[in-house]
Amino acid sequence: MKKLALILVLLCWGFLAFAAADFPRLGDPNSPASTHLSPYFIEKAYEDTATPNIVTAVLADYRSYDTMFETTVVFAAGVACFLLLRFYHFSEPPSHLYRHKPSGTVIQVPRGYRLKGEHTELEPIDRDWAPKDPIVEVASRILIPFIQIFALYVVVHGHHSPGGGFQGGVILGASLVLLAISRDLRTAQATLGESKNSILSALGVLIYVGVGAVTLALGSNFLDYAALAGLMGVDQVIARNLGILFVEVGVAVAVMATMFLIYRNVASAGALDEGL
Amino acid sequence: MSEQLPAFIIVAPLIGACLIFIAGFTRRGLCYPLAMVSMVVALGSSIGVLHQVLVDGPLIYKLGGWDPPWGIVYNVDALNALVLAVVAAVALVNLVASRQFIDAQPFYRIGAFYALYILAVTGLMGMVITGDVFNLYVLLEIASLTGYALVAMGDDRAPLSALNYVLVGTIGASFYLLGVGFLYAMTGSLNMVDIAQRLPGLYGSTAVFAAFVMIMVGIWFKAAFFPLHSWLPNAYTYAPPPSAGLLAPLMTKVMIYVMIRMMLTVFTPAYSFSFGLLNQVVVWLAVIAIVAGAIMALAAKDFKRLLAYIIVSEVGYMVGGAWLGNRLGMTGSMLHLVNDAAMTLCVFLAAAALSFRLKDTKLTSFQGLFKTMPFTMGALVIGGLSIIGVPPTCGFFSKWYLISAGIQAGAWGYIAALLFSSLVNLILFFKIFEIAYFEPFSAHGHGHDNGGHGQVSALAVREAPAQVVVPLVVTAIGLVVLGLYSKELVAGVIDLGLPLGLK
Repeated sequence: MKKLALILVLLCWGFLAFAAADFPRLGDPNSPASTHLSPYFIEKAYEDTATPNIVTAVLADYRSYDTMFETTVVFAAGVACFLLLRFYHFSEPPSHLYRHKPSGTVIQVPRGYRLKGEHTELEPIDRDWAPKDPIVEVASRILIPFIQIFALYVVVHGHHSPGGGFQGGVILGASLVLLAISRDLRTAQATLGESKNSILSALGVLIYVGVGAVTLALGSNFLDYAALAGLMGVDQVIARNLGILFVEVGVAVAVMATMFLIYRNVASAGALDEGL
Repeated sequence: MSEQLPAFIIVAPLIGACLIFIAGFTRRGLCYPLAMVSMVVALGSSIGVLHQVLVDGPLIYKLGGWDPPWGIVYNVDALNALVLAVVAAVALVNLVASRQFIDAQPFYRIGAFYALYILAVTGLMGMVITGDVFNLYVLLEIASLTGYALVAMGDDRAPLSALNYVLVGTIGASFYLLGVGFLYAMTGSLNMVDIAQRLPGLYGSTAVFAAFVMIMVGIWFKAAFFPLHSWLPNAYTYAPPPSAGLLAPLMTKVMIYVMIRMMLTVFTPAYSFSFGLLNQVVVWLAVIAIVAGAIMALAAKDFKRLLAYIIVSEVGYMVGGAWLGNRLGMTGSMLHLVNDAAMTLCVFLAAAALSFRLKDTKLTSFQGLFKTMPFTMGALVIGGLSIIGVPPTCGFFSKWYLISAGIQAGAWGYIAALLFSSLVNLILFFKIFEIAYFEPFSAHGHGHDNGGHGQVSALAVREAPAQVVVPLVVTAIGLVVLGLYSKELVAGVIDLGLPLGLK
């Protein structure tokens, strides 16, 4: 069976190598990819959208519909993780774990014998609890605000430089994940609760579709940002520029929230008590 | 307003899915009504667009207002307008039947389930309506991703089957994407019509041929074309009833439509049917798929697994029909696509109804079901007859077109496989009917029966909830109606969508 698989792989490789002989040379200025659509984008993107970053103009305006569904893919992944992993504790677990803070000893208390408030040196922990490192905790506390400010810069600066909603959203999400890793999931839970988190991830996609819905309501085609011109009192080119910004914000919100939604469910196996 | 109708087909369910997920955390009671509204809007706009296309001819909808090769467009002709309406209708009927099951789930799953359900429909419809090969890939991702999750939410071996589905499905999607990459490198375009216009000069190119083959193989993975079907039987056997009822009728059928779209619109018949040998190889592969599906279905002891293998067979019908290379075959393939979506919905809804009253769907558990669940079994009989191909159910007519096409093309192996599979389906379904009608044998003369429980007369009617049975019966009636209107469907819709050059 393994030999058969190897033969199949080799055959596929041979087929692709045979086909690749026909390709235009790498970086060939006369290749179809460089001569057919690209000249229009290079010449017109700035005129049409006032966006110097052509990549942003293509993905968030000319092919904005694709990007809307890329965002939806991210959202769908988050919803899928939630559906499959999340479960609520309806009954008490078979035992509780407590950590004796001064000595670091962990004791297990069977169900029904819950330790009450007078044991101040005992803290309730979960099975996945890991000792906190003060260096990591303090270093992350300093880093997180800067990471988030940089993320916002990446989101809004996508028009001019590499960046945009996906990248900025990932950085924002990473800052939340860093918070959860350096402290614990309960702290992160207090910062951004589960329902708020989930609603934000749907809201991000809704912002994107909402921009399209507004253009529909104004009588233009779906996602034709030029229709927003009248609404905002700017000309059509600037309207497209701003439309790109709006959808980028939607993407960033969706990506950030979904990343954290996936993290919290995967890290705690759906229980949301304690993760890595 | 009416020129904006195509946008509503996709936008309404997309907005609906987001709102449903939010409602799952705030107002749980709104989830189901929101899902219904988005499906009804999608179905209504699909029918509206179908009407527009039939009256005014194919239409183009420019997303973002950009002209075709630069922006993304919807290209709607009679064929995909028909498939859109079918997808929306099947999803709506199954959604009605799903409620009973979903309400029994833990409350926090409700919002997420309906959101994924509606997103899956969005993905499927988006694949059908789009006129852009890359956009098709993005929506394929949505349909697949949500499909994996919907399968995995089942019990028992569902998560493992879903993992297998993820792995195989991802390989398929990669093949498709690689093919699109090759096409882009050769033509510099992603728009279907634009590619078709730029291709004729490149017909001799090996890279274009490789793109064609890879796109087809990728689609076949997703359509479960034997021997690339390995993900399907387990996934559809272990998927919970609402997911199986959505995915089994639609996923493979939509992929078959995508294959036809690629063959007709992107590569055009002039290219797709220009390789005599390739055509014959694919038709023979279809023959193997039909026979293998039929044999594996014979070996199945579980009702849902049996249905899953029948799907493998049916995919063989449609791929074979499309690759016969004549107009009749393409017509038969399209008609069978519509009919098979309805037939599969019917039998999977029957399986869902049975799962309410039986602890498993093993064939041996079917004893006495005609007495206890008369409506479910009645609908299953119609569904079974349609899959076998008995007139006046719709399955007969599409099979008739496929066989005529086989005769026209001289593909005797294909005809033999169709007849063989019909016979096998006959055996399969009458085996079920026999168990359900004649067993349990009365206590007299059968010593192994335990007292009065074996008495046929002692069985009382215990039908599944009306919310499942009504959609099931409607679907079963729909099978007959589809059969009676086959001629109108072919002459009035499908024929308009096929390219004139296809003889």
